[in-house]
Amino acid sequence: MIIGENIHKSFGDLEVLKGIDLQVQPKEVVVLVGVSGSGKSTLLRCFNFLEEMNSGKITIDGHTINPKKDKLANIRAEVGMVFQHFNLFPHKTVLENVIEAPIIVKKMDKEKAKQLGRSLLEKVGLADKAEVYPSKLSGGQKQRVAIARALAMEPKVLLFDEPTSALDPELVGEVLQVMKQLAEEGMTMVVVTHEMKFAKEVADRVIMLDKGVIIEDADPKTFFENPKNERTRQFIQLVE
Amino acid sequence: METLRTIFDIFMTTYPGFLEAVVITLELTAISVVLGTVLGLFFALMKISNSKILQGIANLYITIIRGTPLLVQIMFLYFGITQLIILDNFWAGAIALGVHNGAYIAEIFRGAIQGIDSGQTEASRALGMTNNQAMRRIVFPQALRRSIPPLGNQFIITLKDSSLVWMIGVAELFSVANRSAASSFKQFETFIVVGFYYLVLVMIFTYIVRWYENRLDVDKA
Repeated sequence: MIIGENIHKSFGDLEVLKGIDLQVQPKEVVVLVGVSGSGKSTLLRCFNFLEEMNSGKITIDGHTINPKKDKLANIRAEVGMVFQHFNLFPHKTVLENVIEAPIIVKKMDKEKAKQLGRSLLEKVGLADKAEVYPSKLSGGQKQRVAIARALAMEPKVLLFDEPTSALDPELVGEVLQVMKQLAEEGMTMVVVTHEMKFAKEVADRVIMLDKGVIIEDADPKTFFENPKNERTRQFIQLVE
Repeated sequence: METLRTIFDIFMTTYPGFLEAVVITLELTAISVVLGTVLGLFFALMKISNSKILQGIANLYITIIRGTPLLVQIMFLYFGITQLIILDNFWAGAIALGVHNGAYIAEIFRGAIQGIDSGQTEASRALGMTNNQAMRRIVFPQALRRSIPPLGNQFIITLKDSSLVWMIGVAELFSVANRSAASSFKQFETFIVVGFYYLVLVMIFTYIVRWYENRLDVDKA
């Protein structure tokens, strides 16, 4: 579904990604973990070209992307992203947040978009909040709206950049619940998170990044019970 | 007591002429506010563009306008423009005020646009919007809302600055008051009266801006 080959990325002198190879199969849920600064968020952002790679190749659904020639906006429309800080549009209602991109980018008919928006809000359990502004929502509700907003573009793969890190602990569950439901429905997902419980329960594969390289890539059971890398072991001890 | 009486008398005898002049002052202000806003938006977008040339043009404009007195700009434009095209002094004054305002309004817009969290642009782009769409639909509407208090302030400055086009003979409020003061020899009292006019106009304006701000704030962050 999405293949990254030999991805290199530097910020000035600092090399953040040192040749990452990563393949995500359709319907697969891949969880990326690692200490902060390990490059996991940067890798995620390279996948939808919010971050420009220094070198490397990304193939989405069989199509290798040429950032110089391809319209990146069209590619991003196929790769949904959910951010740590939600980034909802504060001047638009919840429903308007969800239907903005389908209307503007896909030129979807407004009534049709509203129907789609309402059904997605229902899916994330926020049908009753359609007409309110984001400032009236809790963090967990905001993040669920952000997920509905990403889904409205019917992406082929959904990227999550620490979706629960900015939430109060009691609000984390409702967001993970929605993500779990998406995974069960067969959505292809790449998730950067510190929620090890989610990794154990939902992920098909857990990948550990350390200093810009992948040092562990295994199914959750192997990853948590029998990691081959010493640093992975230390990391697991640290977070559990 | 005597002075108060004189002030009141002047007020009562001058108000028909002064009110006519108020209309001209408001017209000048309205035209220069509209022109300044259009120019301001235009130059703000140039300044945040990726083109070094556009940035340079915008910087030059803003530097020159902010670095020279408004009175000099009015005289310069009046004597400059009227050599090229036939333009009455009202329009020359309105254009000078508008061009002057444009530089300040450009900085207001630029600041407001750059003050919008970069996450807004990122989220828009991640949804497949082009930079243009993100600016038009997401960033600018929020920036505009944030610009309203400083814009209101700038409009009040414009209203007061419009008195300077008196120099090129536009019959606005200050000009009419000046003439009236000279003919009655009651300078002190007359300028108290004209000050009162400006004060009332500014207060009305402030009230409108505040009302509009509050209206925008309802329900929205």
